Amino acid sequence: MSWIREGELNLIEKLSANILKAGPMPKHVAFIMDGNRRYARKRQVERQEGHTQGFDKLAETLRWCLNLSIHEVTVYAFSIENFKRSKDEVDGLMELAKQKFIRLLEEQDNLEKHGVCIRVLGDLTLLPLDLQQHIARAVVATRTHNKCFLNVCFAYTSRHEIANAMAWGVEQGLIKSSDVSEALLSRCLYSSNSPNPDLLIRTSGEVRLSDFLLWQTSHSCLVFQSVLWPEYSFWNLCDAILQYQLNHRPLQKARDQHREGQALQQHEADRACLADLLQHHGNGKPLDAQRRQEALLNYTASREERVQDFLGALQHKRDSFLTDLTSQAALA
Amino acid sequence: MAIVYEFVWQVLHVLLHIHRTLITWFRIRLRNWNGRLWSRALTALIVPMALSFPNQKNIVPAPGKRVGRRYRWGADGKSLEKLPDHIGLLIAEEEPRYTDIANLVVWCMAVGISYVSVYDNYGVFRRNNSRLMDEILKQQQELLDLEGSKQLCVEFLNNGTDKQDQQVLSCQSVLKVLSPDDGKLRIVQAAQQLCRAVEQRDKTSNDINVTVLDSLLRESKSTPDPDLVLKFGPVESTLGFLPWHIRLTEFISLPSHVGVSYEDLFSALQRYASCEQRLGK
Repeated sequence: MSWIREGELNLIEKLSANILKAGPMPKHVAFIMDGNRRYARKRQVERQEGHTQGFDKLAETLRWCLNLSIHEVTVYAFSIENFKRSKDEVDGLMELAKQKFIRLLEEQDNLEKHGVCIRVLGDLTLLPLDLQQHIARAVVATRTHNKCFLNVCFAYTSRHEIANAMAWGVEQGLIKSSDVSEALLSRCLYSSNSPNPDLLIRTSGEVRLSDFLLWQTSHSCLVFQSVLWPEYSFWNLCDAILQYQLNHRPLQKARDQHREGQALQQHEADRACLADLLQHHGNGKPLDAQRRQEALLNYTASREERVQDFLGALQHKRDSFLTDLTSQAALA
Repeated sequence: MAIVYEFVWQVLHVLLHIHRTLITWFRIRLRNWNGRLWSRALTALIVPMALSFPNQKNIVPAPGKRVGRRYRWGADGKSLEKLPDHIGLLIAEEEPRYTDIANLVVWCMAVGISYVSVYDNYGVFRRNNSRLMDEILKQQQELLDLEGSKQLCVEFLNNGTDKQDQQVLSCQSVLKVLSPDDGKLRIVQAAQQLCRAVEQRDKTSNDINVTVLDSLLRESKSTPDPDLVLKFGPVESTLGFLPWHIRLTEFISLPSHVGVSYEDLFSALQRYASCEQRLGK
């Protein structure tokens, strides 16, 4: 399969994998695949060749992740900022992406066999129409698979993702401004169907996030490695996972604490909204403790129902966008 | 077979912890020795990782020397190819030492960094704002021989309003004390504000974009995003530090803020000065 290299680990690799798996393993790993162009300069080949080798390395890394029982991987393939590059390079990357998605569609049987679900996160409207259509077909075709998940961030920046999430949140009038919470915003992001990444790896020695998953990685383990992406090895991956294991407990503690804080804030917000409601719509008589408790539970339930309806509508909108693209492609 | 793997894994992690502890122990021990050559040799033999062993910590020198240091630090800042406009000090350790943090803040300001943020993920600094402030003023006096707020002045910015812009202009450096509430919670509050504006028909959803959100989340118009975050402690994570603002921030990790020296800070700044930001290109 072109997107996931076939093959198994050798004996030493298998042994190391089994040792690592005795400890806590990340379920979702994110990669910033940096260093393709520097690799091309180093090897004195064309830039485009660097990107092609980068894709091959991705296929190999996905194989390693599956061997290590990591079933969800998110990769930063193309940022909105990358449109600033020369026209030649951008066109080359779009062409590479198109070829890879076309190839993916040819391997549908394999994808079904391995249960691979492909998702593309980003503002697809910024891409050439034919690429949008290929992407839509790949995503729709693998939508129901659920053994492993590959999220490709294409035409993506985290800030756009957050701003778009908000824009749609208010557009439909399906929710009130007081319903907006951290949990709701998380569900509005492109990555709403995935848990937050446990581990974020950036290669090539740069130590920044470059507008990638800023919201989702606030409590993830960050590992910066100096190896260039096309030279990434199984041992680099193991090293990153070891870092994750060393940080596992303190991060778990920080995450739990954050979640508790969130729950408390939500509770307080619900109480404040209820007090507001009673003040405006009540009959002026103060409620006793039991009635107040009941009213609070009712309010919380109605808020959650509103939120569910809203999220359902959002999912429907996203699904329709992709389905419309595929029917356009079919007609063309 | 699973038991064997688990045993090996436990051994591996014990070895890694011992390794980490040894490094910390050596760092503290050898810091107090004058023989740099000796410490370098020992490092090369025993510790596989590269470490920086700072010079002996200076005991309070005479006033003349303090003024000399102030100018030296200022000159150091000017000698760097680039200096961050805004530096974040992320303390990812359980027990903060206020004196060490105050030292870091004073050094950052002496070197010429305009905005300094201090953050921990328990909100301890926020709650103990005044204690931190006292410690900084004390260290300013101690290290730089500056009384009160003669040259360097410290302004605390908490959910700034426009009037604070004027106060900021009169200061050479600005300190911000941050907590997790300044991160995702602020973004949520901005979202609620925009939602209300749409409900009241002041805005449409098309008006909501990155620029609008960015201006809402900016403390004041002049505050830049953090260029550099120095993370102190063993935890490799941002721990909720300003998710919106760190899109292009460089992250440099230092082992601990306890007993940190000026040389530690300066070598991190040198590392920052040599990094290349391509901004997508």
